[in-house]
Amino acid sequence: MSTTTPPRPRRSRAERYRSALWLLTKRDLRVRYSTSALGYFWSILDPLVMSGIYWFVFVVVLDKGGDIGEKPYIVFLIAALLPWMWFTGTISDSTRAFLREAKLVRSTSIPRTIWVARLVLSKGLEFLASIPVLIIFAVIFGAQANWNLVWTYPLAIILQAILVLGLGLIVAPLVVFFRDLERAVKLILRFLFYASPIVYSTLDIPAAIQPWAALNPLTGIFALYRSGLYPEQLMVFPIVMSAVISVLVLGIGLLVFRRYERAVLKEI
Amino acid sequence: MTEPIISVTDLGIHFRRNKARRRSFKDLFAGSARRSRPGEFWAFRNLSFDVAPGEAIGVVGRNGQGKSTLLKLVAGVILPDEGRVRVNAGVAPLIEITGGFVSDLSVRDNVYLTAGLHGMTKAEVAARFDEIIAFAEIEDFVDTPYKHLSSGMKVRIAFSVIAQLDEPVILVDEVLAVGDKAFREKCYGRIDELLSAGRTLFFVSHNERDLRRFCSRGIYLDKGKLVLDGPIADVLDRYNADYNNPTP
Repeated sequence: MSTTTPPRPRRSRAERYRSALWLLTKRDLRVRYSTSALGYFWSILDPLVMSGIYWFVFVVVLDKGGDIGEKPYIVFLIAALLPWMWFTGTISDSTRAFLREAKLVRSTSIPRTIWVARLVLSKGLEFLASIPVLIIFAVIFGAQANWNLVWTYPLAIILQAILVLGLGLIVAPLVVFFRDLERAVKLILRFLFYASPIVYSTLDIPAAIQPWAALNPLTGIFALYRSGLYPEQLMVFPIVMSAVISVLVLGIGLLVFRRYERAVLKEI
Repeated sequence: MTEPIISVTDLGIHFRRNKARRRSFKDLFAGSARRSRPGEFWAFRNLSFDVAPGEAIGVVGRNGQGKSTLLKLVAGVILPDEGRVRVNAGVAPLIEITGGFVSDLSVRDNVYLTAGLHGMTKAEVAARFDEIIAFAEIEDFVDTPYKHLSSGMKVRIAFSVIAQLDEPVILVDEVLAVGDKAFREKCYGRIDELLSAGRTLFFVSHNERDLRRFCSRGIYLDKGKLVLDGPIADVLDRYNADYNNPTP
C-alpha cells in the first residue's frame, strides 16, 4: 500500500466538470454500443425509416412531391429528422435522468447539471455521427449546397444544444416529483413533431399563422439546418426568435433546476 | 489552532415524513419552498462544529437521528436547507459505494469510471489500477462484466476504488458490515493506515468497539440536536447512559 503518496493536487471546478461530463458521456455511448451488435447503425436506422415512410406517404401515395417542403423531398426530410432525433431522444431520456441513475447520483458529489448535460452531449454526438447520412443523400439526390452552410449549420447545432439543455434542466427535476410528467412529455413530443416544420416547410404554413409558428424555437432551428441546402429556408424572423427563446429556456431551466435540486437529492 | 478541514455552521435539513405523498401541480406554482409544510420534520438543526485535519470523528446516535444524513451532507451528495458545510479538501466517501458501477461494463471500465467521477485523472487511475485490483483480490475478473461478479466481489472492488482515492477526508458509513470477516479486517487495516498517514476520518457506526478503535472524538446526535461533542469515550458513556444499552 502506498500511503506515502501525497494527496493529489485538486483540480479546478471547470476541469472536474468537464472530465466528469466526458466520462459519463463516454459511458453512455459505450453501454449503448457494447450491448448491441449493430450499434451505430441503429441510431441512423430510425430517422432513415421515418424518412422512408414520409417520403412514401407524401411523394408516392399522395403525390405531393411538388408542393410540400422542397425538392429533393427525401433530403429535405432527413435534414430535419436527424436533429429531431437528437431533440426527442434527449428530452425523453431526461425524464429518467435522475431516476435511472439514482444510486450514482446519491454517491457522487459532481455538479448535478451534469446528469442532464451528459444526455445532451451523448445524443448530440450521435447526431454528429449521423451527418454523413445527410451528405450521402444530398449527393445522391443532387441537393445543391451553398456557402451559408458554413455558419448556419454550426449555429443551428449551438442553438439546439442550448434549447435542449434548457428543456432537460426543466424536465429532469420535475419528473422526480410529478411522475405523470413522463407521460405528458411523451405526448407533447409527439405533438411537437407535427407542430414543427419537419415533414413540411414553414413556407407551407398559411402566411397568417407563420409568425405564430416562429414561437416554436424548433421552427427557426430546423430552418437554419436546412438553409445550407435550401436557401429560401434562411428566414430571419423565426431564426432570431428561436435564438431568443432558446436562451430564455436555458435561463428558466437553470432557475428551475437550482430551486428543485436539493429536494431531488432527498427524494431519490 | 490550524485551519479546520471541515467546518459545519448552523446546519439543518428537513425531510418529508410521508414519502409516498405526491405533490400536486399546484405546489409547483406555490410560493416559498422554505417554509416547512405539515408532514415535514427537521432531521437536525443548528448543528455547528469544526474538524481539524487528522481528527477521527465518530458519529453516535440511535437509528434515524441523522447520522448518515450528516455524512452525506459532508460528502456533498445532498444539500442542506439551512446553514452550510465547508470542506476544504477532497473527500473519499464510502457511502453507497457500489452505486457508481454499471453492470454491463467490465470491472476495468468501471474502475476508471468510478475513480474518474471522484476526481481522479486517467493517468492517476492507471498508476493505481493494479493496486486497486490486488486489494480487492479479483485479479482474474478484470475484464468480466461487473454484473457477473458475486456480491462480495462487488463490494470489495467498490471499497478498493474509494480507499485508493487518497483524499484527505474519508467518510465511512457502516459499509464495512458487508463482506466476509477477512476482508473486513483488511478494510479496517486500510483505514488504520490512512489514519496514521494523517487523513481525517468521519465514521458512522453502531459498533462501539469500532468507534473506540478508530475515533478520538465523538459527536452525539439525538432528537435533532447535537447533544455532546467531546472525546469518544465520554460521548459513548453519555449515549449508553441515555439509552442504557451497555455493550459487552
